[in-house]
Amino acid sequence: MNAAQAPGQAGQEAAGAQQAAGAQQGCGAPAGGIAVSAGASGEAIIEGHVTRGGTPPAAGYARLLNDDGEFVAEVPLGDDGGFRFFAAPGSWTVRVLAPGGVTADTAVTADYGQRTALEVSI
Amino acid sequence: MSRSDVLVDADWVENHLDDPDVVLVEVDEDTTAYDKGHIRGAIKLDWKKDLQDPVRRDFVDRHGFEQLMSERGIGNDDTVVLYGGNNNWFAAYAYWYFRLYGHRNVKLLDGGRKKWELESREMVTAVPERPRTSYRATEQDSSLRALRDEVVNSIGKRNLVDVRSPDEFTGKLLAPAHLPQEQAQRAGHIPTAKNVPWSKAANDDGTFKSDDDLRTLYRDQAGLDFSKDTIAYCRIGERSAHTWFVLHELLGQPNVKNYDGSWTEYGSLVGVPIELGEAR
Repeated sequence: MNAAQAPGQAGQEAAGAQQAAGAQQGCGAPAGGIAVSAGASGEAIIEGHVTRGGTPPAAGYARLLNDDGEFVAEVPLGDDGGFRFFAAPGSWTVRVLAPGGVTADTAVTADYGQRTALEVSI
Repeated sequence: MSRSDVLVDADWVENHLDDPDVVLVEVDEDTTAYDKGHIRGAIKLDWKKDLQDPVRRDFVDRHGFEQLMSERGIGNDDTVVLYGGNNNWFAAYAYWYFRLYGHRNVKLLDGGRKKWELESREMVTAVPERPRTSYRATEQDSSLRALRDEVVNSIGKRNLVDVRSPDEFTGKLLAPAHLPQEQAQRAGHIPTAKNVPWSKAANDDGTFKSDDDLRTLYRDQAGLDFSKDTIAYCRIGERSAHTWFVLHELLGQPNVKNYDGSWTEYGSLVGVPIELGEAR
């Protein structure tokens, strides 16, 4: 996300991501079970719910933008207005899109092992 | 190939909802989206269950594609209009399959499901029934698909376009930010690849940018040499199908291949070079 990220630093963070991958697919006795909570394995989760007048909108999308304002991912809202992203540590913007030209931006920060929850009212 | 041959807009689709020669096909990353509502008359293709081989890592073979088309009621002469969520990400992937197997008349709905939905156009839940056809596919067009050895041999010779997000390119993430981290053994990118995230080719509403803007993006800003052949890749080959569509179908570049093995294959190969951090 930081354009000036040094390769060495990126490598260390990538190692964290690889451990997460190994924990999910590995055959080499990966950590697991009750001791591992979701999000503790190197994922930086940004999630939340969108409501319009107290109820989930009939249709809508959540978009994740990086520090430079660039599109990173977009998901349709669930029936309960929910969304979830697996990001990296840093600053992000969640942009909610809904019918009628509605857009709502929320700035968030994320970190490995953390779950950042948003409630967005449009 | 020009834009009007391969793209239609929502008004065109509304005017052809009852045209018997036009088959609307929804293909989504979220395979349940169709069940919640879709454009009237549209059928569904599941990018995983329908388009992938259930055992090997490969996609459905020629015979399998013929069976699938016949069973869903798609004929060789039908105009197939594909659409889906996330700026047509998976619809573009399906489009590439239709081209690989020689379907003559296939188009994308510009803006896909999102634009249609956000404009509050009609969505229904009724699933249409189409009579069975006897579809005949051609042999796979190998000029559209790159395999791993060709990719390794192209380092430093052809344009390699890595269309993943900057964090996946530099090695900070192994998967897009809305999917769990998974799959490749190593993070990073193929040496000499340029990073042009696939989403840069789309406007905010999911439609494709103009040809001039696209040429500026790939040639002038990213530095692709349009006189060379090009291979596009991402994580599993779907986002790069979107970029393949832009370069091959919209901009008419002659030799553009999609590497569908992409990072989940390359990042797990033993002994191949990998670069971390920004492009050098």
